[in-house]
Amino acid sequence: MTTDVGPVESFPDGQVSIITLGRIEVGIIRWSGKVYAVSGICTHQGGPLCRGVLSGRLAGTAPGDMTLEDAAPVIACPWHGWEFDVCTGEAIWDPAVRVRTFPVKIVADRVLVEIGAGSRRWLASPRADET
Amino acid sequence: MYDGPMIDCDVHHARATDQELLPFLSRGWHEFISNRGPAGIMPLTVQDGLPNPHGFMRADTFPPDGSPPGSDFEMLRQQVLDRGDVRRAILTFGDDSHVAGHHNPYFAAELARALNDWSIDRWLSRDERLVSSIMVATQLPEQAVAEIRRHADNPRMVQVMLVDNPHRYPFGHPVFHPIYAAAEEIGRPIAIHGGAGGWANPASTGGGKVNFYFEAHTLWPQVVMTHLVSFISHGVFERFPRLRLLLIEAGAAWLPSLLWRFDTDYKGLRREVPWLKKLPSEYVRDHVWLTTQPLEISPKREQVAELLGWVNGADRLCYSSDYPHWDADETNYIASRLPASWHRRVFFENALKFYGWQEADLAPVGGRNAK
Repeated sequence: MTTDVGPVESFPDGQVSIITLGRIEVGIIRWSGKVYAVSGICTHQGGPLCRGVLSGRLAGTAPGDMTLEDAAPVIACPWHGWEFDVCTGEAIWDPAVRVRTFPVKIVADRVLVEIGAGSRRWLASPRADET
Repeated sequence: MYDGPMIDCDVHHARATDQELLPFLSRGWHEFISNRGPAGIMPLTVQDGLPNPHGFMRADTFPPDGSPPGSDFEMLRQQVLDRGDVRRAILTFGDDSHVAGHHNPYFAAELARALNDWSIDRWLSRDERLVSSIMVATQLPEQAVAEIRRHADNPRMVQVMLVDNPHRYPFGHPVFHPIYAAAEEIGRPIAIHGGAGGWANPASTGGGKVNFYFEAHTLWPQVVMTHLVSFISHGVFERFPRLRLLLIEAGAAWLPSLLWRFDTDYKGLRREVPWLKKLPSEYVRDHVWLTTQPLEISPKREQVAELLGWVNGADRLCYSSDYPHWDADETNYIASRLPASWHRRVFFENALKFYGWQEADLAPVGGRNAK
C-alpha cells in the first residue's frame, strides 16, 4: 500500500515531520535532499522516537576525536537517548537492533511512503516494534 | 580441594628494613634519604591509610626475627610457593606499592626504579617461580615510560602495576596513555591493584572519606570500578588494541551489574564517546581479567558462580592469595566456592593466557603437590 503524505516542499530539510499512519506516528525526514520514513516508536521502551533530536552522526577515529558525518543522519530517542540510523533504522551500537523504516519514493514532487502488508499489521498495533 | 598447578597473581613481598633499599638508590638520592643525622632515614613509604583493627598482616606470617611479613624469602617459600604446585607467584610489593602516592614526584620516580631493581636482585634471584610487577611513579608519566622500557628485555618483570593515583582523573585519562603505550610496546599487561579509604589516592572513595577500615574494605572495589569505567570510556583499548588489563584485589562479583549498567548507558550516551566501537562489556570480554581475592561470599555457594557466569568467570578469573594480608584467600577455600569445572582455569590456565605463557615453560619446581 502506498500512501501519499504530501509535497516534498512541505518537509523542511534537516527536520523531522511527524505524520500519523493508522494509529502510529511516523517520522518523515528530509536530509540533504533525500527523504526517509522512520517509525515513531523506539524499540527500547516505546518512547516517541521521532520527537527526539535529528543530527548527523558523530563518529571518532581515535579517543578524543569528534567527527560529524553529515551523510548519515541519526535520530536520538528523547527517552534515554538511543540513536538510530535514519537510513536503515539500525541502532548505532548494534545493527541487529532496529526501528522500522519504510520505503519512500518521490513521484511528481510528492512523497509516497510504501506500507507493505506486514507494515499494515504493524501500523494497527501501538507497540508492534516490540513483537 | 584443588591440587593442580597454580599461578598466584598477588603475593606481596616486602623489605625487611629501609636500609635494604639504599644500595639500589643513586648516590645522590642515597645521601638525600639517609644522611639526616639523628633523624635517621627518611620515610620511604606512604603511611596514611586507615588502621586495620587486626593489623594488615596475617599474624602467622610474621618472621620470628620481627621483620615485616613478606620480607623473609624462606617463610614466603614455605607459606606460598611450596604449599601446592605453584608454578608462578606474581610479586606485587607491600607498602612500597604506594609509590605513586608520594608527594615528591622525583623521589617517587627514584624509589620506583630502586624498588624494581631490589625486586630483581633480592627476590627473582632466589626462585624461578617468582616474577615481579614493574612499579611506576605515575606522577611523572615520561619517567614511568622510561622505567617500563628499562625492563623490556627481562621477561620476569611481567606487568606494569598501578595502585595509587596522584592525578585528579582516573586511569583512563590520557595523562596515563604514554604508560599504556610503553606497556603495549614491550608486550606487558597493565595491572590495577585495588585500594581505598586512605593513602594518597585523592579519590579513594567516592562520596567522601570514610572513617573506618571496615568501610574502606567494603568499598575496596569502588576504586577499581572507577578505573575500569575510565579505561573503557577514554578508549584505551581502541588506542592500544593489544593491551591487557588485570584487576587485582577487588573481588569480582560486582562486575556483572556494572557491565549491565555500563552497556545500557552506552546505548544512550554513545554520542559522548563516539570513538568506542563496541559495547563496554565487549571490551571487558576482550581485554580484562580479574583476580579472585577477596572473593565475594554468597549465602549459597552456587550464587557467586552463577553471577560470575554472566561475565564468563570461568575464563576471566585468575587465582590470587593476597599473601600475607589478613584477608588472604586460601586455595582450597576458594576451590570450595567455585565449580570444580572452573578450577584448573581459575587457578592456572587463565593466568597463563593473560601473561602469554606456555604451560611447558612453567615446569613444576617443588612444593606439596608438584608432579
